[in-house]
Formats: sequence, C-alpha cells, structure tokens
Amino acid sequence: MAVYITKSVSETEALAARVAEKLTGGEVIAFSGSMGMGKTAFTRGLVIALGGGDVVSSPTFALVNEYDARLTVQHFDMYRVSGWDDLYSTGFFDYLDTDQVLVVEWSENIDGALPENAIRIAISKGEDESERIFEIDGIDL
Amino acid sequence: MLILAMDSSATPASAALLEEDKILSEFYIHTKQTHSQTLMPMVDSVLKLSGRTLDDLDCIAVSAGPGSFTGVRIGVSCVKGLAMTRNIPCAGVSTLRAMAENAKGMSGVVCAVMDARCAQVYNAMFRVEGDTVERISEDRALPISELFEECAAYGEKLLLVGDGAELCYKTFASFGAKLLQPQLRFQRASGVAYAAKEMCENGETVTPDALMPVYLRLPQAERELKKKNTMNTEGSK
Repeated sequence: MAVYITKSVSETEALAARVAEKLTGGEVIAFSGSMGMGKTAFTRGLVIALGGGDVVSSPTFALVNEYDARLTVQHFDMYRVSGWDDLYSTGFFDYLDTDQVLVVEWSENIDGALPENAIRIAISKGEDESERIFEIDGIDL
Repeated sequence: MLILAMDSSATPASAALLEEDKILSEFYIHTKQTHSQTLMPMVDSVLKLSGRTLDDLDCIAVSAGPGSFTGVRIGVSCVKGLAMTRNIPCAGVSTLRAMAENAKGMSGVVCAVMDARCAQVYNAMFRVEGDTVERISEDRALPISELFEECAAYGEKLLLVGDGAELCYKTFASFGAKLLQPQLRFQRASGVAYAAKEMCENGETVTPDALMPVYLRLPQAERELKKKNTMNTEGSK
C-alpha cells in the first residue's frame, strides 16, 4: 500500500491522472471514505486523463454513469445498495470481466462482491480542510 | 410449427429458427460485444436467410432467466417487441432447461449451472436418457459448496453444462463429474427452441404482455456484502 497526500482538488485530479496512465482495461477501482472526500473529483481527473473530457458528475441518482474515453469507464455509486439483490439490479456483475474500467464510490457497501484484484483507494481528511490522504492498494504508481 | 428462439442471458448470444424437429438456421456469437448490438441482426439473419418472416411464426421463445440482469432484459424486451406487433404466442424458457438440451442423447444427470458470482450459482438438475429430458429440481440459486454436497451422490453420472460448469468442475472432478465439451457447454437458441416446442405442445405459451423476465433471489450470501464496522456514518445523502 502507498500513501499520497494532496492539498487541493487539482492535486487530487493530478494523482488520478497518474492512476489513469497505468490502466489497461478490466480494472475495478473501489473508493472508501465519507462524503466530500473527493471521490468524484478523483474520477473526474481519471476520465480527463483517459481523454474523455470534463464530463464526470456524481452518479448518486443514476446509480451508474458511463464515460467514453481511451477506456470506457463505468462510474457507480453504491451508497443506496443494501443487499445482493440490489447490487444485481444495478447491473454491476454484467460489467465485471469486460475490458471496461469500473469506478465504485461507497465500495464499503459491496465489499463482499469486489474482485480480489480490485484497486482499493481509501480517502480520509488531512491536517487542514483542503488536505486529503489517499491510501492506494493494488496498483503501483 | 415454426419457432423463432433467442438467447442473450449471459455472455454468448444466439438466435435460431426451428421448424417441426429441424433447425433451419442458427446464429451464435460469443464475444464481449453487447447483446443490444448483436441480437437483432442475428434475428434478422436467421429469418431472412431461411426465407421466412414474422408472419410465418407460431411462437417466439426466449431464455427468460436466470442470467445476467441486463442480458435477460434485452432478450425479453426484444421478444415482447417483435411478438406484440402480430400478437404471436411467446414462450419464456428457463435458461437452465434450455442448456440441458445440449446433453440430449447422453445418459446421466445434468447439472446445469450458471455463475452468479461470489461462489454462488444458478442451477437446475435434469435426468437425461436417450431423447428425453426430465427435470428433477426447480431453478434455484445456491452456494457452490451446497451444490457440491448434493451432486457428489451422482458420482460419474454427473454432467456439467453452462458457464458455471468449469468453475464447479474444479471441485466436482473429485467425485468423477464430467464437463461437457466446449461446443456443447453454453446455452444456445436452438436449445431454447426445442424446450419451447415442448411448452407449445403443453399449452404453456403466454401472450406477449404476460412474458416476464425471471430473476432468482440469491441465497443468504455466505459472506456479508457490506464491510463490517467501518461504515462512516458522517453526513447523509
């Protein structure tokens, strides 16, 4: 596991760009961390770096957003998923084993369904308001 | 009797046309392309190349589940859309029953099994002998470990078919279970068609509006879905 500290939204996006560089398709990126930690900002930086443009929005209401880029990105919000049947009906399982990249917010809620090789990113608050600590597991930057 | 059948319940997709006992045409594709791109061109091809139209059909059949959430919905809505225009009777075939057709002509107990993820499977059991397929269990969802206990009693008579077959074979091989060859391992529209023919003969077809996808409830998962004790309850949406 590696730890990274960012001091602004643009630094978070830059960190995401470093992750994006390493992606080859088929990865599952699992975020954990409370509200306002920068999960959506990270995803925005990731999709921009993959050449998809500034198109990311929170999938809170859609459950999943799809972005076309160098690799197709499926952006899930599992905040409201509370059981296996719920998860099944998001279509999550249908996207596994494809060459698309799955980005999962609130992955705490589907921990038992994450593949073993998932890239896990835990985000927490740093010393001041704009500082964020990223603990990244499952990929070398 | 002319039956148009299609399957898009998992990764492969296919369409077939069955006339009496003969498959007139069949189109099968097993790639990562989405069914929404491949299914309708296949349906169009099997009809056109066989010189038939929708007006000639007595029944449209589909594997209505179990299977992938989106896959099953694509298949069922496709069939509903086509059948409604002419009020053609529909047959919602169990995906597991359809794949049991692949073992017809063999002798033994078919364990039709689809990967439901996280060490769980969709399964049904059938006895095959000559040209008969006899169902010996309902369609169900259960942990692989539980299925293992039940299947071990069949020993070498057990025939594994479906996209979960290879997964089960890893452990089931220990009691002599056999894995169907790759060309027979997956569900196909021709299997859906033959199973639908039986449903037509038994008066089990439905009107297009009554055709519904079938989802099996996953069993109480062996492992918890939610991560324990680490949910941050700060804030709410």
